[in-house]
Amino acid sequence: MNPETIEEESAKVASWMEKVILKRVAEDKLVLPSIPSVVVKCMEFLRQSDFSFKDIAATLEKEPALAARVLRLATSAAVGGSSKLNLAEALARIGSKGLKTLLLEAAASKVFVSKDPEIAVAARKIWEHSVAVAALSRDIAALTGSKSGEAAYLGGLLHDIGKPIVAAMLLEAERQVVEVRNQKFVESPVWIEVMGRVHRKVGVAVAEKWKLPEEVTACIRDCNEYDKSDRQAIVNSVCMGNALAKQAGYVVGAVDIDDVNALVMIGRSVLGVTDDVLQKLAGDVKNRVSGLFD
Amino acid sequence: MLRVLTVDDSRAVRSIVRKQIIEMGFEPVEAEDGEQGLVKLGESQIDLVLLDVTMPVLDGPGMLARMRESGNKTPVIMLTSESKRSVVAGAMKLGIDDYILKPFKPEELKSKMLAVIGAADAAADEEGVLDSGGPAPRKNGGEDGPGTSRQFVDVLVVDDMENVGRKLRTLLPQHMTMASFTSAQAGLAGCREKTCRVIMLDSELPDVTSSVLARQMRLLQPHAAILAMPLRSTNDITKEMKDQGFDDVLFKPFNQDSIDDFLLKYFDNQEILICEDNLFKVGGFHGKEDRIPIYFSRLEGLFGEALKKAASACYDEVIIDLSQAPARQEKLPRMLLEFAESSKQNGIELKLVGSQDVKKILSAFTETKSIPLFATVQEARSGASA
Repeated sequence: MNPETIEEESAKVASWMEKVILKRVAEDKLVLPSIPSVVVKCMEFLRQSDFSFKDIAATLEKEPALAARVLRLATSAAVGGSSKLNLAEALARIGSKGLKTLLLEAAASKVFVSKDPEIAVAARKIWEHSVAVAALSRDIAALTGSKSGEAAYLGGLLHDIGKPIVAAMLLEAERQVVEVRNQKFVESPVWIEVMGRVHRKVGVAVAEKWKLPEEVTACIRDCNEYDKSDRQAIVNSVCMGNALAKQAGYVVGAVDIDDVNALVMIGRSVLGVTDDVLQKLAGDVKNRVSGLFD
Repeated sequence: MLRVLTVDDSRAVRSIVRKQIIEMGFEPVEAEDGEQGLVKLGESQIDLVLLDVTMPVLDGPGMLARMRESGNKTPVIMLTSESKRSVVAGAMKLGIDDYILKPFKPEELKSKMLAVIGAADAAADEEGVLDSGGPAPRKNGGEDGPGTSRQFVDVLVVDDMENVGRKLRTLLPQHMTMASFTSAQAGLAGCREKTCRVIMLDSELPDVTSSVLARQMRLLQPHAAILAMPLRSTNDITKEMKDQGFDDVLFKPFNQDSIDDFLLKYFDNQEILICEDNLFKVGGFHGKEDRIPIYFSRLEGLFGEALKKAASACYDEVIIDLSQAPARQEKLPRMLLEFAESSKQNGIELKLVGSQDVKKILSAFTETKSIPLFATVQEARSGASA
């Protein structure tokens, strides 16, 4: 299939998909993943100014996997923890920001799981890429003096959250076309192209539904380019983190390496990051990310 | 002198960049658009192009494309307010070496210019001869003879009087390497081709301001110490030279004393005093007897620095091992007396380790006989009596 045909065909499908998605968003009919009820409840507590970790602990206990994650993080070397903590003490140690990140990370990871084997493999790769981008974005934000490290982490983690949802929608459409109408659907290069064109709008819809902070939503919407009007904007850390993750091999589908290299070159100047620092970040990323998967 | 061409339609930007280029010791060349830029490239040898993107007549990418089509490989840094990745990716395909987003910090411009020029020099060294469309090939090697690329030299000297280099060579130890040049241009070429430990510049080179040359050389050799070589004078011009950016001075005409001091300072000052936490081991003296005062004077200076470190590390006692020290009447007690006073001021107890000869010398003075002296370091640490 030649590139012109892919572009022409994907433009048609993307246009159709975009219309469908926007219509569904406008009518509040887009089936978006919801956050588990325990996470919703905890997030509600965190929005209150006088929340107590005891109340959150009582809620979290209903979700043993999440409670175990909190305990594991609180007793990890990263936060200098000891092994004897109850859940409320563990929550106090990781703090409200750390808990919020952990909850959203848990919620997001479920979006990247699919019963369909084809999507499951792709979603797993996107999730690995997202975790790498998150870790890099937080480091870059710290290096540029930003205090929004957690927001950068979330922005990186969720910047591609629309992709598995679009993939599921495409699969649904494919099944209808092939099985019901017995017609041929688009080929895989068109799939990837379509996903690239529409996933950000879906991601933004998820962010709004999950009531994510605006700076995180901005990362999902705008991290394709740098914001030169505000060099310290979190979106710039995520844009750079995204490019570095791709350079480190965390990619899904074909990647335009010239494009990625251009993003890194621009990012060095926008963020004022030196080559020494970049080499260190890139060198560390595989070791760090490999330890983050459950 | 390296020439840097700035192609930008903004007079304000050109003016800011020109200032930076001159401060770096390079020669600025300017053009308002891509067409003018191509003309300037054809008129003279240009070592680096700073290129804007959006310009009237011919834009940056257009100029870059025509440069590369004609075989011109001059390094290019894109200096622009354009941050779209598609534009930069296109320019990268045409061969830009780096990118700077406006507004920029002077340090970013300086560091990227140096990195690109340095990389171009290294590539030129490897290729030997550049293509005809690129910058003119640079002379390889110093006046001492043909050099190898990135050869290490201990001392690089620039003085228009040939005898200065010859004289210095006779005073330096044989094992030390030296490259000598009689002009600023040749010296700069040497700096590009070699890695130097110390650079020595005549303070009055013809047609060149030595402090400007020093700045250029510091950019090329950031780790080298740069010394001025003025004539001896009744005025103390050391401060003046340091204010101009030199690290130190070495007065002409040289003598063995000044060269020995220079060697101690820049090449061999670690063996006089070896510090292991709060244990200071004094190294032996090997040389002519008339050099003893310089040895002690140097030792005093090193003691001062070592004491500060020990105080910073919260040691409440310091042991000085004098086993290897030259046992000289007066010199040793005087030095120790000063050191004991400084130690006391810092709340640090002083203990000595030394031979019977040392004990005898120190006992002759009221002020030093009270300093505890031990036969070995172990005894000093345990506080056993001498």
